[in-house]
Amino acid sequence: MQYVIIGNGIAGVNAAEAIRRMDPNGRIVMIGDEAFPPYCRPMISMVLEGSVPLAKLPIRQASFYDDCKIEPILGNRVTELDVDAGRVDVNGKHVAYDKLLIASGADPRPIRAEGLELGNIVYMRTEAHVRRMLDALDGGARRALVLGGGLVGFKAAYGLMCRGLAVTMLIRSGYPLSMQVDAFAGGMILDTLTAHGLDVRVDIAAEVFEGKDTVEAARLSDGSRLDCDLVVIGKGVLPALDFVPRDRIEVDLGLVVDPFLQTSAPNVFAAGDAAESIDVARQARWVNAIWPEAAAQGKVAGINMAGRTVPYERSLSRNVIRIFDLDVMTAGVVDPQVITGAEVITRFDPATRHYRQLVFQEDRLVGMTLVNAIEQGGVLMALIQNRIPVAGRRERLLAPGFNYRALA
Amino acid sequence: MKQVVVHPERCVGCMQCQVACAVAHSEAKQLVPAQFESPRPRPRIHVGAGPYNEGFPNRCRHCDPAPCLLACLPGAITRVAETATVMINVDTCINCASCAMACPFGVIRYHEDRSAQAGKTVAVKCDNCLARQREDGIPACVEACLSAALTFETLDAAYKRQTDAVARSVSAVAAAEALAPGWALLNAHKKARLELLTSPAPSDEKRAAGNAREDTHVRHD
Ligand SMILES: Cc1cc2nc3c(=O)[nH]c(=O)nc-3n(C[C@H](O)[C@H](O)[C@H](O)COP(=O)(O)OP(=O)(O)OC[C@H]3O[C@@H](n4cnc5c(N)ncnc54)[C@H](O)[C@@H]3O)c2cc1C
Repeated sequence: MQYVIIGNGIAGVNAAEAIRRMDPNGRIVMIGDEAFPPYCRPMISMVLEGSVPLAKLPIRQASFYDDCKIEPILGNRVTELDVDAGRVDVNGKHVAYDKLLIASGADPRPIRAEGLELGNIVYMRTEAHVRRMLDALDGGARRALVLGGGLVGFKAAYGLMCRGLAVTMLIRSGYPLSMQVDAFAGGMILDTLTAHGLDVRVDIAAEVFEGKDTVEAARLSDGSRLDCDLVVIGKGVLPALDFVPRDRIEVDLGLVVDPFLQTSAPNVFAAGDAAESIDVARQARWVNAIWPEAAAQGKVAGINMAGRTVPYERSLSRNVIRIFDLDVMTAGVVDPQVITGAEVITRFDPATRHYRQLVFQEDRLVGMTLVNAIEQGGVLMALIQNRIPVAGRRERLLAPGFNYRALA
Repeated sequence: MKQVVVHPERCVGCMQCQVACAVAHSEAKQLVPAQFESPRPRPRIHVGAGPYNEGFPNRCRHCDPAPCLLACLPGAITRVAETATVMINVDTCINCASCAMACPFGVIRYHEDRSAQAGKTVAVKCDNCLARQREDGIPACVEACLSAALTFETLDAAYKRQTDAVARSVSAVAAAEALAPGWALLNAHKKARLELLTSPAPSDEKRAAGNAREDTHVRHD
């Protein structure tokens, strides 16, 4: 059996390990664009803020490929996939597969503006990107401009603030993380960031970047000009699927997969940021581009590729973020408008700054936003993910720590 | 291999396991001096309340596969097969709380701990008292539990007891093994008290609802 895995992110790595456990003799070829040892992508934001050294990024030994008897092909992207011939092309070479996993993840969504070729204008997706940012800091960068207030833009802004830079963030909604948290929690986050000196501007875009070799200023859509010596673009991500023949494999935003993480093409599986499966809370197809999803999907995809049929029906958007003195945990539906028949309950305690929003649909919990007192949030997450009916008084679930009694 | 088995129906909510756990993870290993240590030793087992206000000792289940292990960003959580224990490496832990989101039992806490670098907040949970076990001891919570709500036994023994109980319950002639009278009485009392508070007589509905404290108001069905 010849397995080919595209992508050496967490989805690809977990798939390879699962395959190897179940099939000691099959041939595994892993094709990855990044030659760095498998590493924890979310942790690049902690490297930026200075709480984790670069050396701690890898999550597997350098000997990972040997240990799992994997043949790595690193440093280049797959450029073509031929589902009829059962092969992929990389660097001019054909690689044939019996089972293929597409775990190519996502790439930063590009922006349009003049002067993007200037130095110190970076995306934030890879360890190479974060090294460029650290170089800019070493070079004396003092004023940063961050485009986008999603997860990555927000983490970039926070990291640079921790490094003592003056940071301006341009966002579209009234508060950062609008896809992750509700408006009240978003307000708490915004207040905390501005109290620590973040300059937030809403509904403004950067149009032109100016400078000699490296960026020195940005001209914004409101006509103003902003001095900056580092620009981070964090306007979301798009599944990295350039090589996928869209007339042969069903692609929506991501590769559409069934509960066994199989795509519409025979023997082709997908997992992680590149895949689109049914989200349990929304009960609709969704790309949940997050680490724990990529980790779980990769593992289950590998098991299925190795011949055991195991469904994965637990995809759920979720996140946990700690900034300054705020802990934020969210899962499932945060904007009740996106589903029908949502019932919302909330509690805010100004003394402790504990906040909770819970979203119900009929007798199910489908969404949560917690600010502070997050330790037992996993219990609520499990209620959402396993679609457990909630019988007792719902308000009990708003208590900061809770007892199992609350579920009865 | 022996493991800690929890029997919630026998828990009287005395919280001695919490105290014993904190002391077992202190420097001094004795109650009085332990209280003056910094960071202050904290329990990794938490007694909460079950549906009838009975005690519920909540501790890490050392799941296999463990959701926290799969979710851990820096790969700080591992499973030690020989002791069936899920362990957190405090040097690798980055306090991101990904494990809090993954744990369906809510048993992980975040604070400074003697085992970690001074001043570093880390994820802390039950370690099955491996240090005590290495010295032929048993987990501190089990040793402290006087009502046998926590036992240390092989899973085979625990399963056998459970299977026997099921077998007895389907046999018409064999009576179910009674819980010792003390627990049965205590649980019956708690249950009855709650039912009194929460199922008012129809004519009396308003007054009783006004009397029932919010936190004891459990079942309507
Ligand atoms: C700054 C930052 C912070 C984040 N924070 C969080 C967080 O707090 N919580 C959370 O849950 N998630 C977070 N994420 C998201 C998380 O990192 C991703 O969801 C996860 O890494 C996805 O894993 P993956 O294996 O699917 O894809 P990736 O990690 O993207 O791996 C795919 C790999 O495949 C390579 N590749 C792409 N195309 C090809 C090709 N054609 N041929 C060969 N190789 C290819 C890519 O270069 C890449 O190395 C964060 C992401 C970033 C960038």
